[in-house]
Amino acid sequence: MASGANANMTAVRETMDVLLEISRLLNTGLDMESLSICVRLCEQGINPEALSLVIKELRKASDSLKASDNSTS
Amino acid sequence: MAASLDQKSPNVLLQSLCCRITGKSEAEVAHQFQYAVRVIGSNYAPTIERDEFLVSEKIKKEMVKQRREADAALFSELHRKLQTQGVLKHRWSVLYLLLSLCEDPRKPSPRLGSYGALFAQALPRDAHSTPFYCTRPQSLALSYGDRAPAPGGATVVAGGPGALSSTTMGTSGISSLGVYTLNGPSPTPQSLLAGQPPAAGGPAMGSRLAWALPVGSAPACALAPPSSRPPLGPVSLNRGVRPRRDGDPNAEVTEAALVRDILYVFQGIDGKYIKMNLADNCYKMDAKVVLCKSLRDTGSRLAELGWLHNKVRKYTDARSLDRAFGLVGQSFCASLHQELKEYYRLLSVLHSQLQVEEDQGVNLMVESSLTLKRLLVWTYDPKARLKTLAALVDFCQGRKGGELASAVHAYGKTGDPQMRALVQHILSLVSHPILNFLYRWIYDGELEDTYHEFFVASDPNVKTDRLWHDKYSLRKSMIPSFITMDQSHKVLLIGKSINFLHQVCHDRTPPGKITPASKSADTPSDAAELLWDLEGAFQGKIDAAYFDTSRYLLNVLNRDYLLLDHLQAMRRYLLLGQGDFIRHLMDLLKPELARPATTLYQHNLTGILETAVRATNAQYDNAEILKRLDVRLLEVSPGSTGWDVFSLDYHVDGPIATVFTRECMSRYLRAFNFLWRAKRMEYTLTDIWKGQMCNAKLLKTMPELSGVLHQCHILASEMVHFIHQMQYYITFEVLECSWDELWNKVQQAQDLDHIITAHEVFLDTIISRCLLDSNSRSLLNQLRAIFNQIIEFQSAQDSLYRSALEELRLRLQYDEQKKTRETQGEWGVTAEQEAEEANRVREFQDTIPKMRSQLHILTHYYQGIVQQFLVLLMTSPDQSLRFLSFRLDFNEHYRAREPRLRASLGTTRGRRS
Repeated sequence: MASGANANMTAVRETMDVLLEISRLLNTGLDMESLSICVRLCEQGINPEALSLVIKELRKASDSLKASDNSTS
Repeated sequence: MAASLDQKSPNVLLQSLCCRITGKSEAEVAHQFQYAVRVIGSNYAPTIERDEFLVSEKIKKEMVKQRREADAALFSELHRKLQTQGVLKHRWSVLYLLLSLCEDPRKPSPRLGSYGALFAQALPRDAHSTPFYCTRPQSLALSYGDRAPAPGGATVVAGGPGALSSTTMGTSGISSLGVYTLNGPSPTPQSLLAGQPPAAGGPAMGSRLAWALPVGSAPACALAPPSSRPPLGPVSLNRGVRPRRDGDPNAEVTEAALVRDILYVFQGIDGKYIKMNLADNCYKMDAKVVLCKSLRDTGSRLAELGWLHNKVRKYTDARSLDRAFGLVGQSFCASLHQELKEYYRLLSVLHSQLQVEEDQGVNLMVESSLTLKRLLVWTYDPKARLKTLAALVDFCQGRKGGELASAVHAYGKTGDPQMRALVQHILSLVSHPILNFLYRWIYDGELEDTYHEFFVASDPNVKTDRLWHDKYSLRKSMIPSFITMDQSHKVLLIGKSINFLHQVCHDRTPPGKITPASKSADTPSDAAELLWDLEGAFQGKIDAAYFDTSRYLLNVLNRDYLLLDHLQAMRRYLLLGQGDFIRHLMDLLKPELARPATTLYQHNLTGILETAVRATNAQYDNAEILKRLDVRLLEVSPGSTGWDVFSLDYHVDGPIATVFTRECMSRYLRAFNFLWRAKRMEYTLTDIWKGQMCNAKLLKTMPELSGVLHQCHILASEMVHFIHQMQYYITFEVLECSWDELWNKVQQAQDLDHIITAHEVFLDTIISRCLLDSNSRSLLNQLRAIFNQIIEFQSAQDSLYRSALEELRLRLQYDEQKKTRETQGEWGVTAEQEAEEANRVREFQDTIPKMRSQLHILTHYYQGIVQQFLVLLMTSPDQSLRFLSFRLDFNEHYRAREPRLRASLGTTRGRRS
């Protein structure tokens, strides 16, 4: 049982490595943790279109926040 | 980390994602989180295809476009690895996400030539969208249709990024960006994009800002990101000519703004000035907008395109998910989609043209600019096409299957070659499933028509014994108008024959052997070709399949199931064609049948039947046929004799029963019953004649009888004449003629239906000519009465002969006695004996007038019936029956007695001359 879980773990890890590599290739700017969150969301059937939209908006928001922080400070 | 692919709720995940990307704590990202939940929740169903392969192909393409072939190869390797691991269920989804977030590292500002940038500008509210939205313009209209009326419309250039952020990010409460960009663009765009290495939104915003800024605003140049196109300075100057006063309702709208508007209307999205007017169901220019008349006119003319597009779109959207709409409907929708795709391609070209122009505003209003007039010219053809499509959609509303194909076909009958080509293209797609059904049906006999679209219908409740007659039928409404009725009948027949062979005849010959030309793998292009050449190749195919299948079926029926032999057997046994057998059977049956019907037993009669078969030529018949021959006793009514209930029977089953149906057999039995009766009369009269011939000499010694006997002879020959003529009529006019017709037709028959029809006609003729149909019931009753008279006459004559012969025997005995006594030397007779003898003779002679009167009554009655029968014959509409009356009354014996006959004969003669 434990070995099965172990094998599963390694498989998952490999998958994540591959995905990270693809992500790097595509220059998505996602780190490992965001990527794993995204993958889990996708696995739950979230619409990837919407998800990508959200990520972009989030980035933009954080950028603008930073920018405004800069300008005010 | 990777191990924690557990089932946390999406909201928790989303929240941690928000924190992760913005780098803030949970409390700080509450707004963003809410926004994220809302976006995810409202866009639950993806507008893209769930196809991993497609997504991976797109990724590769994207890499190739970025000139990173090596990376593309690396990606395929990784993708393959991913596929082998199979940990992920929604690989396409993850891949799609990655692709959406993809940026070209070598081109930090994807400006020119990139659709993404173009569309990001054209549709500011979608500035965040990926290049994929842009390459698939229709998804814009779909997925963001709900946001179409957003205030950040395409032409709100002055609002620029500010408007963008306030609409898309409104809920996040971050409005500082808009303020900042409008206030003064002192910071470089790079700083704006910090933390997001190569962002697409940035440059697009920048450029928008560049041309959105008012005239002479020098810093605009500073904002413009480096690119290959000419410096923006003069551009903005030029642009400055355009009044940028959209907030002011009284300002005149420029043509360029209108063009932008129109381009949205083309996709069915409301523009700023041109909006859908629900009351009038058309796109209308906002009445408040100040505009010169010609532009307004052209604009509304162009807007019609949007209306047409909406109409077609609505139809396909409504139908494409409706599974019950059927294959034909689906292919119709697919063809409409194809046309719409062409249309969208044009729109995207127009969009990019507009974009390029606005970017390189130098040539604005000079040579290649987009004006409404140009649009009018360019959209002339698409408009005609869309009009046709819209009309087609209108016409096809509520139709499906073959009906739909007919509707489309009807639209192909136009003089306009372009329109005809369009409709024919659609028709070839629409008819492809129908032709597929058709080939499956005529080559394999299989009906795979889940949605009842094909014109052959099958009734699953019908058992195999009625398969040929009832199982399959034509759905008249579903016959496409390019297939004629004759062709569809043939198609029905071909498949029916194949099914009949398989299910009833249990013939397992592969269809390929029946029709050597069959190649069921027809491609759509084949179908299209066939459509052009319906008269030639298509007809030829159907004819060939029809001919081969039908001939094969008839061969099987004749060879394995002896159809023709059975047909002949029917004639020989049930229609009394085998004379010697029938005669012998009657001889053998006579004593049995004279008994009351209740004392008859089927097994006795069956034995007699076998004896008759063995003794006559019938024994040389096929055993297959003889074993089907049987005796049947009809329903017994009180007082009936064996003659009334006896009937021959012929058992039919399997494929043969399709021709000899139950109704057919019951008609055969009725005919047999009639013929058997007529035959019995002939037989009886033969007996009568035999008695007369035998007894004539014996009774010569009794001169007192000669009058009565003469009367008997006259009546008998009258009856013999009548029955002979009847028999002649039945044999030659009815049976042989019809049989000859039937036989010819059967020999020439091309399919089983021809045989069945010919057989039906044959039986109909026999039944009606044998006076068994309802029209000639009165005639039949007369004939029955005549037959009864014959039977009565037989019994009367029998009793006459019996008493006469008894008398004769007594007289001879008396003479004999007298002689023996004389030889013994005694007195021949005593006076007493003499007196006794004389007394007896006188008594006998007294009965003679009684007999005479009885005969007289019989004769009178008989002649009355015959006369009535003749009268009925004369008035019969059937010519052969009128001829029969001539035959029966050849020497005008009855005509002389019956005034009515004279009259009717006169009229018919008068009519004829």
